[in-house]
Amino acid sequence: MAYSEDHIALAAEYALGTLDADERAQVETMMAVDEAFAAIVQAWSFRLGGLNQMVGSLEPRPIVWENIRSEIARTARAQQPPALAEASPPPPPPAPELPASEPAEPATEAAPIPAGSQAEAASPDMPRPEPDALPDVAPQFIPQVHAPDLAVVRAPEAAVVDDGNVIRLEGRVKRWRSIASVAGALAAALLVTLSLQIFLPDALPNGLRPAPRIQTVEVKVPAAPLAAPAQYVALLQGQAGGPAFILTVDGATRNFTVRKVGATPEPGKSFELWLISDKLPRPRSLGVIGSGDFTARPLLASYDAEVVNDATYAVTVEQAGGSPDGRPTSAPVFSGKLIETVPPSQPQAPAKK
Amino acid sequence: MLTPAELVGLIEAVAKGDQAAFERLYAATRAKLYGVVLRILRRQDLAEEVIQETYVKIWNGAGRFDPALSSPITWMASIARNRAIDIVRKKSETSIEEEPQAMEVAADSPDPLARREMTEELKRLLECIGRLEPDRQRLVLLAYYNGWSREQLAEKFAAPVNTVKTWLRRSMLDIRECLGL
Repeated sequence: MAYSEDHIALAAEYALGTLDADERAQVETMMAVDEAFAAIVQAWSFRLGGLNQMVGSLEPRPIVWENIRSEIARTARAQQPPALAEASPPPPPPAPELPASEPAEPATEAAPIPAGSQAEAASPDMPRPEPDALPDVAPQFIPQVHAPDLAVVRAPEAAVVDDGNVIRLEGRVKRWRSIASVAGALAAALLVTLSLQIFLPDALPNGLRPAPRIQTVEVKVPAAPLAAPAQYVALLQGQAGGPAFILTVDGATRNFTVRKVGATPEPGKSFELWLISDKLPRPRSLGVIGSGDFTARPLLASYDAEVVNDATYAVTVEQAGGSPDGRPTSAPVFSGKLIETVPPSQPQAPAKK
Repeated sequence: MLTPAELVGLIEAVAKGDQAAFERLYAATRAKLYGVVLRILRRQDLAEEVIQETYVKIWNGAGRFDPALSSPITWMASIARNRAIDIVRKKSETSIEEEPQAMEVAADSPDPLARREMTEELKRLLECIGRLEPDRQRLVLLAYYNGWSREQLAEKFAAPVNTVKTWLRRSMLDIRECLGL
């Protein structure tokens, strides 16, 4: 296989969830520019995804569905002429995040699917047509949250009786049982917290949301990194996450390419790309992003390697054709920093096997 | 009860903009997805927000679902879970001090599932996880179910972060080998 163990471990740990924020951003960048790598990450996600079968179902509040509907209606209006907004759905956008078409290992991926999907759909939470209904989902929910009722907490034991030889899960379950009363107390506390949160709506939803997702990924190459013919990539992302533009810089020529993956300017507006560096007095325009999928320019050659490396790349919405006076007229809607498209080698204590 | 084929059919309809299909898909899958992300986020507000974002993504990205690669629910859950992990990684360090014991609860209570209800894939995966040393098994499962960072795992296992890093890496490569990949 063309990928090193480092790459594969990185992909697996991304799917497992143990990478830190910078590493996750790096993997997402690599996925955006390398479909084969994206396929490896996805294969891991789907493989580990089976574990979710053992997670209890829980009903979100009906308001969630209301919000989803209005969000979809809103984006449909924004993307289409008003007359068509009701009639047709938004077009499927390009696929930065889930380029689902390249199986890394077709044989292993494809074969188990039928069995897998069968049983998955058999899980008890599936057949719920009414948004507000929750009755028979409750038994799975209860052990986690309403646990003071010990009779209910113990209910799942029956289901475990016959699976002792699979793995040590049974042991886990026993331990779990033994701490059920502790769990009860804690879960009750959690429930109180949740109730409070319901009544403090405005303090919460956006409280922890990261401000415009400026990635603080450091370029991990010291002296004059752009001298090497490496490829550098920045994902320019907005609030909602997911890349809108992918900026690629060729280390040798410092030519850059902007690839549009998830954003279209409103009619009469243009997206303009800026280089923001604390070594420069103000943002420098790198030009208007063309309406095609790719925009390539040599402009970065006039900047120091250090500036190029450390800068934040940001996209603003400007009048058609770009800002009239060479300064951004609005706050960036997408931004990101360059990273090298090679994963950091994972520091290894001389691994004991 | 919806079969996987029905879920696939719904996603295909959603890709064409069928709102009724989208509502049925939501009704059939929301509780599973919410259960997955609430375990990781442990805050209703954040979990609901992630569910909202997830279904908007599903609406917009249904055309990208490939039934040859993954079951519908796994595809949907991976979108939700990835977003949840992004959020906990950004606020990171706080949770372990905030709720050290809530972590214990979360750690040990994935729903037991009768063996016959498991998919073949899951059985195989569990077999391979089961071949790891007991501590590593716990490490991997805690990481997956609770979305813990290496730092949180290091604290839980009273080991240096770098050691945990090595364990995780080795465990994933062992699982890969065991699965014959």
